Amino acid sequence: MSNVVSTAARPATSEMVRRLPEYLMIWVPLLLSAAHLISFSIWTIWISFTPSTLIPVSGWVGLRNYNAVLASRNWQIAFDNLLLFGIAFVLLSLITGLALAILLDQRIRGENVLRTIFLYPLAVSFVVTGTVWSWLLNPGIGIEKLIHDLGWSSFHFDWLVNRDMAIWTIVIAAIWQSSGFAMALFLAGLRSVDTDIIRAAQIDGAGPIRTYVRVILPTLWPITITVVVVQLQFAISAFDLVRALTNGGPGIATQLPALVVYDLMFQRSQLGRGAAAAVLMLLILLAVLLPYAAWRYVQRRQATHA
Amino acid sequence: MRDRSFAPSRILIYLVVTLFAAAYLAPLVVVVLNSLRTNEEIAQGSMIGWPQHLAWGNYALAWSGFCIAETCAGIRPYMLNSALVTIPATIFSTLLGAVAGYAVSLWRFRGDNWIYGIVTLGLFLPQQMRLLPWTIVLRDIGLINTLWGLVLIHTIQGLSFTVLFCRNYYIAIPHELIRAARIDGAGFFRIFWRIILPLSAPILIVTVIWQFTHIWNEFLYGVTFTTGQQQPVTAALIALSAAVADIPQHGVQSAAVIIAALPTLLIYLFGGRYFVRGLTAGAVK
Amino acid sequence: MPITTTRRRLLAGSAAALALPAFARAQGAVKPRLTAISQWSAGSDGAAITALGKKFEEKGGVWQHSPVPGFTTEMMNKLRAQIIAGDPPACSQLKGPEIAAWSKIAPTVDLDAVVAAAGYEKVVAPDLAKLHKPGGKWIALPLQIYSTNMLFLSKRAMDKAKADKPPVTWADFNDLAEKMKAAGVTFPVANGGTRADDGQKFEASLAGISPTAYRAAAMNLDKKALEGPEMKAAFVQMRKITNWMDPNVGAQPYAINLKRFVDGDMGMLIMGGWAQGVLKNAGFKLDDFVIAPGPSDNGNPVFLLNADAFIFWQRKEPDLQAGQALMAQLVMDPAIQTMYSQITGSIPVRTDVDLSGEGWSDGQRRTAAALKDAVANNQAVLSLAHNMAQENGLTAAMIDVFTEYAKNKTIKPEEAVTRLAEAVEGSR
Repeated sequence: MSNVVSTAARPATSEMVRRLPEYLMIWVPLLLSAAHLISFSIWTIWISFTPSTLIPVSGWVGLRNYNAVLASRNWQIAFDNLLLFGIAFVLLSLITGLALAILLDQRIRGENVLRTIFLYPLAVSFVVTGTVWSWLLNPGIGIEKLIHDLGWSSFHFDWLVNRDMAIWTIVIAAIWQSSGFAMALFLAGLRSVDTDIIRAAQIDGAGPIRTYVRVILPTLWPITITVVVVQLQFAISAFDLVRALTNGGPGIATQLPALVVYDLMFQRSQLGRGAAAAVLMLLILLAVLLPYAAWRYVQRRQATHA
Repeated sequence: MRDRSFAPSRILIYLVVTLFAAAYLAPLVVVVLNSLRTNEEIAQGSMIGWPQHLAWGNYALAWSGFCIAETCAGIRPYMLNSALVTIPATIFSTLLGAVAGYAVSLWRFRGDNWIYGIVTLGLFLPQQMRLLPWTIVLRDIGLINTLWGLVLIHTIQGLSFTVLFCRNYYIAIPHELIRAARIDGAGFFRIFWRIILPLSAPILIVTVIWQFTHIWNEFLYGVTFTTGQQQPVTAALIALSAAVADIPQHGVQSAAVIIAALPTLLIYLFGGRYFVRGLTAGAVK
Repeated sequence: MPITTTRRRLLAGSAAALALPAFARAQGAVKPRLTAISQWSAGSDGAAITALGKKFEEKGGVWQHSPVPGFTTEMMNKLRAQIIAGDPPACSQLKGPEIAAWSKIAPTVDLDAVVAAAGYEKVVAPDLAKLHKPGGKWIALPLQIYSTNMLFLSKRAMDKAKADKPPVTWADFNDLAEKMKAAGVTFPVANGGTRADDGQKFEASLAGISPTAYRAAAMNLDKKALEGPEMKAAFVQMRKITNWMDPNVGAQPYAINLKRFVDGDMGMLIMGGWAQGVLKNAGFKLDDFVIAPGPSDNGNPVFLLNADAFIFWQRKEPDLQAGQALMAQLVMDPAIQTMYSQITGSIPVRTDVDLSGEGWSDGQRRTAAALKDAVANNQAVLSLAHNMAQENGLTAAMIDVFTEYAKNKTIKPEEAVTRLAEAVEGSR
């Protein structure tokens, strides 16, 4: 922090006027952004305590909305699914992304083409991803049908219509769409590892796998955190994807909190309950993000002291 | 490691990479093939299949033929709407995010950490939760049912991402550079323009790619805050796919999906290399 | 920034309610204009609303329709945004009890005078009329009627099973399904996998077993009826139906199976009359299938009513008011209803339209006859699965139970009855 250019503590008035444009450029967007986040959050918290249905109204119902949401099967299933989906998706996309990055890091031919192939799903909208995967994974019209038509009629791949496995189809589609981002970050990390360290390890007689495990991967920790944060954000916004792929089905087996929020707020016209579900969702997020923020804080403190 | 010491197992590496690539390409291949099959052909068989004869007509229909209620203009006018929202919102959110990221990382001012923290938290606030508050805001500033309203929303929401990535990028720039320039009498904007911006190409490419694809693919705000002929291209795609009460038009739908995804696909095709390069510099901190 | 919109504020403008003289006078002076929101964007729905717009323009009006593609929810989001912005459309698609719910958040137009002038009330089924005049005044006009429990029979599957007439009761239905299965029809019941689809299986079962129990349980949410023996019987029947369906359909709409249905690979489709328009649009011939009223154990047709409607929102602009008057007249016009229904496969709201002429199908004639019968026997009830019986929140909570039951065969009928009662309780 010490080597940062600090602005004067108390600029004179004429100085203020002279620097007005830059203050405006810095503060107006930042304040607008922060203000919308804070006020929208507070607004949602407030609505979660009101009897709002079709449109926001004032009033006070205490914790009634929260109790109703927590007692509903939809929310209970959505919560379990979020844990499963969140953990499975983030872990698997980390592994896939890392594997792809390591593979691409082997000075292989056609790296540019391959990188583009792994990245292009990011360009596709969630709705399209969900729709296309709902075709592919549907046993009646997709992969299973194709394999049956090819003559292997005992082949079974019906996760999409299987209550217990359907959530994994969302994991598959989500990994397909977003692991390219993890790959790009890891590849960036691998490329910025100091070659001297690698050489030193090799001189010490470490084999390639050993060099990866012992020397290179540990340097990727900070990136891993970034990837987890970005993927988590992806997991939360995967709303359109789920809607197009399973729409919460079969039955209500693949409900997710974001779906429940939207459903309550806009389809069921229970705005108060939807807001309560949104607040619960934010609480879950905070439970994940606060440790991360604390970790960052400690890290920064250490960096300052060093 | 990075030399040829892997040579004996390189065949395995190529094999694995090829398998991965095939898996990643499969959905695109299926959509491309379907875009060349007629609706009937798909309905008779499965969603996966080789075109019996190339039905280029799907593209003509998708581009300028199919009807959304009384408007039979295909996807074309909606592409323009999406561009009118996406391009300004991408430029604004990137530029403002770059300036703010530069200020937060290199100038430091009171409260900067706080406001930076809050703004980046915006990445995690679910979109559907913000729909009604935005409705009220747009009403109060009179921008409901205008494309500028959408530009405003996407600019403000996009800042969360652009500020995060720009700040992480700029923090690696040696502060001596800035200090020297200040001693020479250069101000905030001059330093940004002369020193920072020329160094920013990699990260700006990342934020532009990210913002462009996200805004282009957005649906919820797009249909709620526009009216009639102003709707974005995602709305047109949904109109083709959500015709629940009708025989599926998978051929035309696939062609429309391809056309609608072209701008973002092209951006990744040509920008992908810089994407990784920019991330190398930006997101790793 | 005022961050809430109170009901009072929205209704502030409604003090001077729109009365007939102004309504009628406005018409001659200005060019009528109509802003409308609907989700009808594609297929026969899109074609029908487009034809209606053409008629509106022929009468000298300016037609400004904003289709909102997607699910009904997106259409409602759009409507809500317009209402919050103080700029509701002159009229918008809305149906069932939602008409009453939404009319509380923004002022609507009192249509009593135009309805009376057209003598419309006499020719609309009373249960249906009630939905469109929540406060005792007409504020919305139904446009077309469907029955959600029509039975479509594949001719080829019938031939395979050597059956020549449609089943009347659920026992007949089950019989025929068994016969079809034995004769090699892979799935005796053709189906989709959407939530509404699963809901329809239940409502058809219950209404067919006992329209009285249906009225008490699904429409009036009577606690005793919700736990009554008919409910269990309905779940038992629904389980039979789901056992005959293709489990692989996923969340795809029923239309994906129409070809297999026509080919005789699937036997019977329990669906709204709109399937007829879809079959016709898809190029299938009317003699590929037979349409009959859904099974009813007492032998008289039970009609599960689903009606699309337009609600009219109060506007101050004279041209919009003139447009509303013109639109109201058009929607009530027998010729317009005929045109609309012939495109979509529905039947007209008006009970006095003659369906014997050309342009009407046997299916539509049978539907209209079923409605007449059902009304006479007090067996016309409101569809739950299509949001006619309850507001959306309650409907969705109940459909949660139906869709889980359809897809999870370990849930026992008794358990489903309990869950349904709980869902109703939890959502009140």
